[in-house]
Parts: sequence; C-alpha cells; structure tokens
Amino acid sequence: MRSSILSSILLHITILMMAIVTLPIFNNPDLEIPPIVQVELIEISEKTNVPKVSKKQDEKKEKKVEEKKVEKINQPVLKPKIEKSNEKVKDPSENEEVVKNKIEQQMFENIPMRKPVIKKKDKFDPLKIAELIDKSKDTKTVEENIDDLEYDALDSTPSLDSKLTLSEEDAIRAQFMQCWSIPLGIPFDDTMIVKIKISLNTDGSLLEPPEVLQHERMNKPSEKYFRTLAESALRAVRRCDPIKAPDINRYESWKKIQLNFDPREILRG
Amino acid sequence: MMIKKVLGIFFFLIAICTNSFALIEIDITEGNREPLPIAITNFFYDDERSKDLDQVSIDISKVISADLERSGLFRSIDQEAFIQKTASMHIRPRHEDWRLINAQALVTGELTIEKDKLRVEFRLWDTFAEKEIEALVLITTIDNWRRISHMIADKIYERLTGEEGYFDTRILYVSESGPKNNRVKKLAIMDQDSFNHRYLTSGKELVLTPRFNPVKQEITYLSYFKNLPRVYLLDIQTGIQEVVGDFPGMTFAPRFSPNGDKIIMSLARDGNSDIYVMDLKSRVVERLTDSPAIDTSPSYSPDGKKITFNSDRGGSQQIYVMDNKGRNQKRISRGTGNYATPVWSPRGDLIAFTKNFQGRYFIGVMRIDGTGERLLTENWYQEAPSWSSNGRVLIFYRETKADDAGKGHSSSLWSIDLTGFNERKIETPEDASDPSWSRLIQ
Repeated sequence: MRSSILSSILLHITILMMAIVTLPIFNNPDLEIPPIVQVELIEISEKTNVPKVSKKQDEKKEKKVEEKKVEKINQPVLKPKIEKSNEKVKDPSENEEVVKNKIEQQMFENIPMRKPVIKKKDKFDPLKIAELIDKSKDTKTVEENIDDLEYDALDSTPSLDSKLTLSEEDAIRAQFMQCWSIPLGIPFDDTMIVKIKISLNTDGSLLEPPEVLQHERMNKPSEKYFRTLAESALRAVRRCDPIKAPDINRYESWKKIQLNFDPREILRG
Repeated sequence: MMIKKVLGIFFFLIAICTNSFALIEIDITEGNREPLPIAITNFFYDDERSKDLDQVSIDISKVISADLERSGLFRSIDQEAFIQKTASMHIRPRHEDWRLINAQALVTGELTIEKDKLRVEFRLWDTFAEKEIEALVLITTIDNWRRISHMIADKIYERLTGEEGYFDTRILYVSESGPKNNRVKKLAIMDQDSFNHRYLTSGKELVLTPRFNPVKQEITYLSYFKNLPRVYLLDIQTGIQEVVGDFPGMTFAPRFSPNGDKIIMSLARDGNSDIYVMDLKSRVVERLTDSPAIDTSPSYSPDGKKITFNSDRGGSQQIYVMDNKGRNQKRISRGTGNYATPVWSPRGDLIAFTKNFQGRYFIGVMRIDGTGERLLTENWYQEAPSWSSNGRVLIFYRETKADDAGKGHSSSLWSIDLTGFNERKIETPEDASDPSWSRLIQ
C-alpha cells in the first residue's frame, strides 16, 4: 500500500517535472519577443533629386515592404510559416494594402518600438542611392537580393523551435569532412567514434577550445588508436576554424554543436 | 524492490526530459583521404662543434620523407615552400607559418657529435594543436644514420596513424639472373627501401622460399642437395648454416611459428603432401594433416593457435584453416578460381592469398572466416604475398611474359597496401622473386 502511494507520488512528480522542463509555458514565459521593426516608407524622390526609378520596380519594392511589415506585426501572435503561405496566396490589391496599413498603424500605436539601426542606415546609404541611379541590370538585382536577405533574416526570430535546417547541417558536415584527414591505419573497431563539443562565435569561429567528450579514453595509454583518431578530429576542428556560419538568427541553435567523427565505415574496408 | 523499480522509472524519465535539450549532433562519416601533408625539415647542427654533418642532416630528412611517402599516407611538403628556416624552430616553431603551407605536422631535429657518436634528437609537432606530440633522442655511430632515419620515420608513422611503423625492416628474397632455363638463384637481403643490399648465398645451389624468423635474425629456406630440396636454417649475423633435418621425401614451403621455436612445412611422401610441424629444440616432427590430397603452404596465426594452408581435397585448390594440432579443418575460401599461398596477417585479422582465375593472377585478402574477400591487384603472373610487420602492406613478386623468342621475361618485387591503390615497384639489382618481409629489427 505504502509503496503504491509512493510510486504514484513519484510518477506525478515526474510528469510535473517533464511538463516544467519541456513545456514552453513554464520554461520560457517571456519568450524572446522579437524586436518590432519600424519600417518607414520613403519615396526616394523625397530625399533626392534623382529621377524616379521605374514604376514597376517601385511597386515591387513597396509590395515587399508591405508584406514584411505585416509579418513583423503579426509575429508574436502567428507563426511565421503560416504567414509565408499567406503571402503567396495574397493578391496585392489596393484594398488589402489599406487594411494592412490600418493594422500597422494600430500596432505602432500600441507597441513601444525600437529603431532598427541597420535598416535605416541602409536606406540612406548614399552609395546605394548612387547605385539606384545606375540603372544597369546587374546592380539592381544584387541590391534586391541584399534587401531580401535582410528581410528574411529579420523574419526568422530566435526561438527554441528554430533548429538548423538539414541543408545547414549538411553545409557544416561538408566543411569538417574536407578538413578531416582520416588516419587510415587504425584497425576497425566498433567503438571508434570521437565526440567533440564545440562552441562557436556568431562569425563561426571557435569560442573556446574544442572538447573531446571521451577525454578519459583518449588519455589511456592502452588507447593509442583512439588518441590518434581523436587528435585527427581535433586537427580537423582547428583546421576548419572559422567555419562558414549558418543563419545568425538561429545562432542559439548552433552556438554549441556536438561533432561525431565516425570513421567506422571507412576502416571496415 | 518496488521502490527501486519506481525510482528506476523516475530517473529514466528524467533522463528523457534532459535529453530533449541535447546539443545538435552532426555525424561526420567521411573525410579527406588525401595523404597527410607533413613538413620534414633538415636537422640542425652547430657548425662549429659538429663539422661534416651537412650531408647527414640532408640525408636523414630525405630518408624519412621517402619512407613516409612510400606508405601512401603522407605527403612530404617541398622544402622550398618552408617559411621558417631558422634553428629556433626545433625549440619553438612558429605554427602559423607551418599552417600557412598546409602542414598538419612538422618534424624538426638536431644533430650533435658526442664522443665520436652521433646524437640525433627529433621532435614531432601538431601544427594545429600547437604542441609537441612526440620526441626522441637516439645515439649511434655516424655510419648508422640510415637506420636511425627509419626508426624516426617509424615513430612519426606510429604517432600519426596509430599503428606500428614498418620502415626499420628488411626484405629477404631470391635474386635471379641468367636465361630462363638456367637461372642462377641467390639469397639476398636488403633494407625495405632497397639500400644496404647484400647476397647471402653464392648461387651454386638453387634456393627457394626464404622466410624470416619473426623473433631472431635467422632465416629458413629451401635448397637443393643431390636434387632433393632440404630445409636449412641460417643465422644472418654469424653466417652459420645448418640443415634442419633429412626427411624422407621432399619438403616444401618452410615457415617459422610466431615465437620462432617451430618450423611448419609440407612434406611429400609417396606423392602425397601433408602438413608437418617440427620443434627446433627437440627436433620432434608431428604430422598435422592426413588427407590423400595435396596440403601445402602452411602459415600460423600470430597467436600460434591456428594454421591456414591450402589443399585441393575439395577438387580445386582452396584455403583451409585448422587449429595448431590439426583439428577442426575447415575450408574458408568460397569464390571461384584457385586459391594458394595463404599467409596470416601479423595483425591477425586477415589472410592474404594468391588467386588464379581465368588465367589471371590476383593478390587479395579475406577475413579469417573467409568473408570479405578483396582482390588488391591483378596481373599476368604474380604470387607469394608476404606481410609488412604492421599488417598493412603486402610484398609479392610479379613476372612479365616472355615473347615468342623467349625474351622479355623478368621478375620483380612489388608492394601494395590494403587500400589497393598504393602499388609500388621495389628496386633490386637483378631480377627478384619469393620475398619475405622481416618484423621490426630488434
């Protein structure tokens, strides 16, 4: 009887702890609220005497800016993914734009705003305006791409859900594969995997020295094959420093990575 | 009891919870298979105190480079590319300079003369970890610089690949000269890089299948006496030679046991060959196989507990394994074609063999249970593989086909590593066959 009560209590505590640890509601009540980005729409003609850019382009740009704005505003409420799908369906009619502007105004009134330093700076970058004057096709596409990237980057807010995408993982993997000279002389052994924890700066460089998780095994005199393998893996990590950093907005998810150097398939022959 | 169970479940669940926040793990299952770039500098010496070391300094570095490159696992960086060239690098190398030329490892050294002896100090550096990972001091006579170089190459190889080196070793083989129908065959021995070559027999008698004793500077071989092959023992250092025993009938393919106290061979009586083992101390001979077929080419496993040999008892020549008392004989080769000359790897994991299939000859390896057969090289005629001391490289001989006039026939030594990509010819003064590779010289 006593034991069943005890077990029941323990199980309840466990479930409660699981909930506390896993559910975001307990874990992160003030889940990083993405900075609200203020976007000012400015006609180039207001700031410069340069003749207007072709109408088509202007419309295109405006459309983009509008859409992004709505996303920003809605972000705390809606998931970005859903918005993206909306974005595709949306028809950029005038009515909608009016609605958007209304929402925008309301949100701006209610929420305290931080001014984005980069955006403003960029918009008024005299060099970029100079580029606008130059109507050669190439420059324009480059600039558009840059803008897109900036907006996209702002879209993805750091959160617990934002994990590395498969392609980003692949990109990291490919870099270390290139840097790793496998010690081919090691005899095959099923336990020959070296696990290394690395901490990265936002630019992809090592924040602190890489750490071999099985360092005890590495230091055993009888484990010379493992030591050689671990050293080769450490060389690979240092050789790859700095790696090409994945999306900075997901920094939380890649600032610490565990690399498993696993040559077993190669050594099996 | 119940409480223990509940607690077990409790901790298990906690573990699951914490695991849900584990790091992102990225598996790296492939890597760069290019040879490892290594910088080998000329060893420094004090001009004032140690004269005439100029050439030795250059030569030591050359021998180390050549050894490592021959293994196929290293690429020695051209010295022209070196940025740091001062003597201080032996104590404090500028690792960034070496990384700049892509060197993952750096070898530095210093030579001094002490009481007419050469003192060689070498250091191996990991340029990325920026630390010394191996250091050694060797003292010897100046004439012995070549062997010292091989020993240093072994140390470097061992530290960077994880397995024992094989450079301080010798190769024993049959040197051949003269026309094909009247060959003069002499026993010859040389370092694994073809230097320090010398002949052990005069060539008056025909010699065959020389094999090293794994633990002593001693060899066993077959020589014809009154048209009958006999097994001989020869001490390489003293030159003393003895006949192991006069057996009725013919003896073939003698080979030492791993601790060098027995010789295993095949003996032909009344047209039937079987495997016999002879204790070298007591000279007692024991018969291990007893089949009407031809059993030959026996070779011990490195622990001495098993023996591999080939036999045609199943209709074609195949590889078999048995224990050291001749029990549990089991065929292991399963492919099509004929298999011969099985040799157990010193590492114990593989058996090398010669395979004859559709008129072509292959050198290959298989696991000791016969699975995982891999053919490493193919040619018109080649056979008799012998393992390097670390079980990574095989040496064998290859013959070229003579033309219709009987010309163009030649025989030479080749080596190939387990990857099958690093095949190299081994230089010999004359034609060569039947190689045997020594263990590391003690």
